Amino acid sequence: MADKRFVVTKVEVEGREETKVVEVPAFEPEPWAENAQLDVVGQCVPRMDALEKVTGRAIYTADVRRAGMLHTAIVRSHVANGKVLSIDVGPALEMPGVRDVLLREDVGDIRYDSGLLFDATIRFAGQPLAAVCAETPHAAERAARAVIVKIDTAPHAVTIEQAMAPNAPAVRSKGNFAKGSPRVTERGDVASGFQAADLVVEREYRTPTALHTALEPHGAVAEWNGDSVTVWESTQGIFNTRSDLAAAFGLKHTQVRVIKDYMGGGFGAKNGAHASTYIAVALAKKTRAPVRCVWDREGEQTDAGNRSATVQRVRIGAKKDGTLTAIQVDAEVALGVGGWFAGPGKIARELYACANVRTAETFLYTHTGAMASFRAPGHVEGAFGLECAMDAVARELGMDPLELRRRNYAKNDQEKGRAYSDKKLDECYRLGAERFGWKTSPARSAAENFTGAKGPAVNSRFRRGRGMASVSWSAGGGPPSYATVRVNPDGTVDVLTGSQDLGTGARTILAQIAAESLGADIADVRTTLGDTERLPYTGNSWGSQTTASVGPAVRMAAEDARAKLLDAAAQMMEASPDDLECRGSLIRIRDGAARKAKTREMSFAAIGERLGDVMIIGQGMRGPNPDDTALFTFAAQFAEVEVDMETGRVRVLRIVAAHDSGRIINPRLAESQVEGGIIQGLGYALFEERALDASLGVPLNPTMHDYKIPTLPDMPTIETVFVPGSDVTANHTGAKGLAEPPIIGVAPAIANAVRDATGVEVTELPLSPWRVASALARGSTERA
Amino acid sequence: MRITVNGIAHELEVAGHETLLGLLRERLALTGTKLSCERGECGACTVHLAQDGARRSVYSCLTLAAACDGGEVTTIEGLSRGDELHPLQRAFIERDAVQCGFCTPGQLMAATLLLEQNASPTEHDIRTAMAGNLCRCGTYPKIVQAIQDVAAGSKQTASHG
Repeated sequence: MADKRFVVTKVEVEGREETKVVEVPAFEPEPWAENAQLDVVGQCVPRMDALEKVTGRAIYTADVRRAGMLHTAIVRSHVANGKVLSIDVGPALEMPGVRDVLLREDVGDIRYDSGLLFDATIRFAGQPLAAVCAETPHAAERAARAVIVKIDTAPHAVTIEQAMAPNAPAVRSKGNFAKGSPRVTERGDVASGFQAADLVVEREYRTPTALHTALEPHGAVAEWNGDSVTVWESTQGIFNTRSDLAAAFGLKHTQVRVIKDYMGGGFGAKNGAHASTYIAVALAKKTRAPVRCVWDREGEQTDAGNRSATVQRVRIGAKKDGTLTAIQVDAEVALGVGGWFAGPGKIARELYACANVRTAETFLYTHTGAMASFRAPGHVEGAFGLECAMDAVARELGMDPLELRRRNYAKNDQEKGRAYSDKKLDECYRLGAERFGWKTSPARSAAENFTGAKGPAVNSRFRRGRGMASVSWSAGGGPPSYATVRVNPDGTVDVLTGSQDLGTGARTILAQIAAESLGADIADVRTTLGDTERLPYTGNSWGSQTTASVGPAVRMAAEDARAKLLDAAAQMMEASPDDLECRGSLIRIRDGAARKAKTREMSFAAIGERLGDVMIIGQGMRGPNPDDTALFTFAAQFAEVEVDMETGRVRVLRIVAAHDSGRIINPRLAESQVEGGIIQGLGYALFEERALDASLGVPLNPTMHDYKIPTLPDMPTIETVFVPGSDVTANHTGAKGLAEPPIIGVAPAIANAVRDATGVEVTELPLSPWRVASALARGSTERA
Repeated sequence: MRITVNGIAHELEVAGHETLLGLLRERLALTGTKLSCERGECGACTVHLAQDGARRSVYSCLTLAAACDGGEVTTIEGLSRGDELHPLQRAFIERDAVQCGFCTPGQLMAATLLLEQNASPTEHDIRTAMAGNLCRCGTYPKIVQAIQDVAAGSKQTASHG
């Protein structure tokens, strides 16, 4: 492989594997092994952009102000299905401050997640039909309300059941079953697997449509300069946004500049140009003025992506000793009007050793906004079904649920038969169970723990229970990604790479990697991200990719810069470069160096001063992934809950999460990521669900009050454990992704704890008080 | 109307519908205060308003600008004294109570008022006082720690003083 300049490699993003032809780097730095002595990597360096954020100086998309900038409001459909007969913008155009409107005929065929922009065929309530722009946000909003739209309404299909019904209203011309549905994957022979089983457990699970609900909605500011356009965008992918815009407006890539400095969360929904981006660019072109277009909250909750609702029938066959003989998942997934196939079946195909696995996923179009990637799409939904069913198997066997999982430990990648680059799920189990005190529930015997008895009663009304779940997620990153590291004349260091920091801490950890490789003081290092015109390419910040994709490129660039810096210093110090070492922005003669040197040490600043305008510039790229190797992260998550047996209210008391993501670059920021994922998982488990009026086809809770996300009073105690390690097979930093794994196991761990507390299974999320209370009522009737 | 924002007095004409948030962001270019839900549900637009002898935190998206006549408003931009950060700003950085940062200005305004009114809050007090400030990234545990750090620090200072 080393003799070829370009090779073929595979990169897996959120379960989708892509093949890429990539350049082999000129050199590969020595991997940072687990016992490597590192100064900056592994330290809790404070988040580098925190100062801008706590002072309000960080500029987010809606904060961008351009001279003469206009503001946009959107006219949306209030019905789920129909045909636009006419749009009268006359009254709107006459209103004070209004500058222009944007209609279907102005934009041509621009396609975004939810279909054609301003399509006359209405496919969901909330679909944009036109845009109005004005001198103030208020004038635009008033004018949008004055637009008169006549619609011929038609019956809709907003739920899975409605979409699958015979003679269901068609969401798309080719029907409601997405092409390629059902997607069937089978290995081994599940029929004989179930025959060989001593016991078969079968359940139906339901998961809701969840909304990303980023605090900052989707939005863009666009400004044309001649035939080029600059776009400030809240995006996880500046280069994706650039190519989307170039294609839509017939521009060269270099005629589009996309800038993303700060963004208020993405969680998967901001992966390319969005309707708001196209509208801002089109209106800026039409009005010859800078235009800001930001979704309002209702737009964000209806037309900015979601996690698909699912119905999953899970069957698991097992031997008496717990060995799994077959897993079968049959699922329906509601995509909305569009989206990609993020199915709940994948985790069933990869998490446990099992020779016979069959998943059949039917993806359905419904008259609702399109799905978008949402933190571990597919796995979050699938983990709820699989991991709750695994607990049901454990109960039938009278076995510790953790022991059942250990007995079915996958030693290699079950889907493709590849070796794992590294896998420490066993350590996640061990360390997580130890921290949680899994075996040592004070109030009950081991037998009581695992045979389906109710959990300990706090008093006559409240019961406590414990549950756990396992997690796997491909997060190995991959090429292409490029970085430049520049040593400035004042001795400071710039890391330049076109990546995005969504709030994950990418800015900080990339600086740490550069500081470590270069021997710079972290205080001297600055990371600049998010500009397609001025920075080298990296991929989207999605699929837990950034650390493992961009990190190695930054490291290589820093090593390249370091070699040059040492050569320059050697000249100045009259020493051999081999006798020099860099640390804390100082270059000094190594202890025990053979030759004498004129100068013992020089600071980066002193070298920079001597060099003057002669620059030290290092270049780096992400090399290919190892062949036939599965790059995965793992976790074990444990939950303790208290259930109010009268009201059905579930309170999560404690979550312990043990994660294996390889080397941890910054433990404090990593802990923040884990806590964030767990808290989103807690919302998914307990509160979050887009409510639709099935007869009207409209969303009932497109607000942040009625779509409840976790608040501070909902917080449990969260304890994070990182399994020590460094996955040097995956890449030379040893680090893998951590953004998505923490959300995956939370809902099943909580649901299993609720079962443990109450003796009743609740098979539908979220575990709202009414769902739990009715399951408790059913449970007591069944027993009586 | 007359309004003082971060110590600077302004004399302005405002429309009846104009919100305090719109005034701050669109007219005074104080974009640190964020718009997220525009209906008083998320807390991202929280600022302090001192008026008629009382000082309270308000959702600036639900507060009419005209109703602030004669009032003194403090926004996130006015929290630090020059380059000297408010202790809570320092604690938010130290504890990493900041991820994407979009809710942070509102969180800080709510937290500073909490400590002004209750110098040694219990954890329950903190959870209750901060309940109206949403964070989707999940910085809540770190926010509690940051507030507790500052409360503990000021208690120490008080007992030494």
